[in-house]
Amino acid sequence: MKVLAANTGSYPKIGSSPDKQKHREAYAKWEKGEITDEEFEDIQREVIKEVIEEQVKAGLDMVTDGQIRWIDPISHFTKNLEGCELDGLLRYFDTNFYFRQPVVKDKPIIMKPVARGEYTFAKSISPVTVKQVITGPYTLAKLSINKAGVDFQTMVKWFAEVIAQEVHALSRLGRCFIQLDEPAILKHPEDLKVFEEAIHEVCTEKRRSKLYLYTYFGDVCPFLSIFEKLPVDGVGFDFTYSPKLVQTLNERGFRKEAVGLGIVDGRNTRLEDPKSLLPVFKKLLSAIEADVLYINPSCGLEFLPREVAFQKLKCVVEIRNIIKKKLL
Amino acid sequence: MKLKLNLPLLPTTAVGSFPKPAPLVEARKKGLKKEIERLEKEATEKWITIQEQIGLDVLVDGEFYRGDMVAFFAENLEGFKMGGLVRSYGNRYYRKPVIIGEVRYRGPITVRWWKFAQSLTNKPVKGVITGPYTMMDWSFNEYYPDREQACLSLAKALRKEVENLYRAGARIIQIDEPALSARPEELLIAARAFKILTQGIDAYFITHICYGAFEYIYPQMLQLPVDNFDLEMSNSNLDLVELFHQHPFTKDISFGVIDVHSHVIETVEIVKERILKALEVLNPKQVWIDPDCGLKTRTEEEAIAKLQVMVEATKQIRETL
Repeated sequence: MKVLAANTGSYPKIGSSPDKQKHREAYAKWEKGEITDEEFEDIQREVIKEVIEEQVKAGLDMVTDGQIRWIDPISHFTKNLEGCELDGLLRYFDTNFYFRQPVVKDKPIIMKPVARGEYTFAKSISPVTVKQVITGPYTLAKLSINKAGVDFQTMVKWFAEVIAQEVHALSRLGRCFIQLDEPAILKHPEDLKVFEEAIHEVCTEKRRSKLYLYTYFGDVCPFLSIFEKLPVDGVGFDFTYSPKLVQTLNERGFRKEAVGLGIVDGRNTRLEDPKSLLPVFKKLLSAIEADVLYINPSCGLEFLPREVAFQKLKCVVEIRNIIKKKLL
Repeated sequence: MKLKLNLPLLPTTAVGSFPKPAPLVEARKKGLKKEIERLEKEATEKWITIQEQIGLDVLVDGEFYRGDMVAFFAENLEGFKMGGLVRSYGNRYYRKPVIIGEVRYRGPITVRWWKFAQSLTNKPVKGVITGPYTMMDWSFNEYYPDREQACLSLAKALRKEVENLYRAGARIIQIDEPALSARPEELLIAARAFKILTQGIDAYFITHICYGAFEYIYPQMLQLPVDNFDLEMSNSNLDLVELFHQHPFTKDISFGVIDVHSHVIETVEIVKERILKALEVLNPKQVWIDPDCGLKTRTEEEAIAKLQVMVEATKQIRETL
């Protein structure tokens, strides 16, 4: 079994020190029309370079581009769709972060995939493996306002077609690592059937890519059997919302090519003590049958200040090291 | 309504904040302490007069002395430190407080502002605090083993602020809990915290909740030991009224009829429609009328115009009752 340290998605765009304000300053200028789209993109690329360097410095085996260009995970994939418009702000799950809610008026048509360009750039500058995050079709549909006069099932299907095209465009580049985020399903077990259909649809386009389903902000225990059977190559769990997840996995076992263990809390600044977590990982290692185990934060790190986010990644790396040394 | 105050039917009120005047924002940026205090008092006086002129029945101090609603209380309690910058949306960042030790009450936080505002008017002024659940949810917690213990400790500290507000004379006390509906499974924790805050205090308690999926906590939330729920109704297309059809609303309600996120000034007719919609499922004796949320994000002109429309619409409906 391979044990790798990975990021789960976002990384803070700015830090506390004056030299880490680049993104915020450029964004303000761009909003006022003082710099062009191209100039803003150049600065975003500089920041992406910085956050990849930070992740590598922390010791990760797999990084993301920090989702530096994303304003929020929902509008990022819907703002350029024909048939969709953006509405007011809504709270993103139980965070103190807000997203702009899409209004679906007609079947969404993708003009240009967004993930492919992000992945290509990140890959061109990263010395280690890059993982591309995409928001899943179910979550996009669930957090949209339906004004298309169709049922919810159709909405999910429409978004599945859109996201399948994102995956298609990525996978034409060769073997990519793709993380499909579906936090919304955890609160809505009643929608499992339509969720499964959507995941199947997206998976038809993955070719040689590895596609990992990540969920967070809820208890994943009731979904384990279903997730095990989905045609994805891996799943990622958020342990911070599931007090019984370790015990449940231990009792039933879990089998998947890759499993992401989100034990380091991406939402709270308290730093975990890697050594004290050793017994937990020992239990998990005996319960999980996988080729690859990813040690990663429970969710994206943009809910934390940049300095803490870096410490969390170092913690992830330390856990990986301890597991390799003591448990393998 | 257990209030002993002589309020008309459908009492009108504001939720808490009003727009900060530009010189105050400037002084805050520059950190000019004396100037800030002078401008905060000036703004409070000005807005007490404005609220009286508009004809609101229950007034607020306008919260000119607060920056962020959580950070302000965190700065005034023991056990917190200010954290680093976290993004809330687009290019907006805030400093999220961190609980690093036992949370303790250091002394009155809002009491002198309440006293000052109340000294300027004969109308009742609400005491307004940020609630323990929201304080917990919107802070990092490095000290308490879990969310419940953090929340209950905050409730014990804030209880002292409630007692001090009551002692000073406040008979209407509002507990702001915008985070309350985010995790329905934690409603019981909030209920315990509210009991700590309110038990044995003979004030009329309001709780302000906004931006949430109420469908997940209604009707269970009615068990919270408060007299009045202040809810945003216009931002949610009055969807809640449907819920009240299915399960009657058994407490008083401050019914938000003004969208605080829009520059557009509602017409009297639109606001009247919203009030009438409320009265389809609620007894007029249960209902207060207010905006969805604090008005600090609007310009002064917009805030005044919106409140004027709200009071006018309420008066017209009152005459028909």
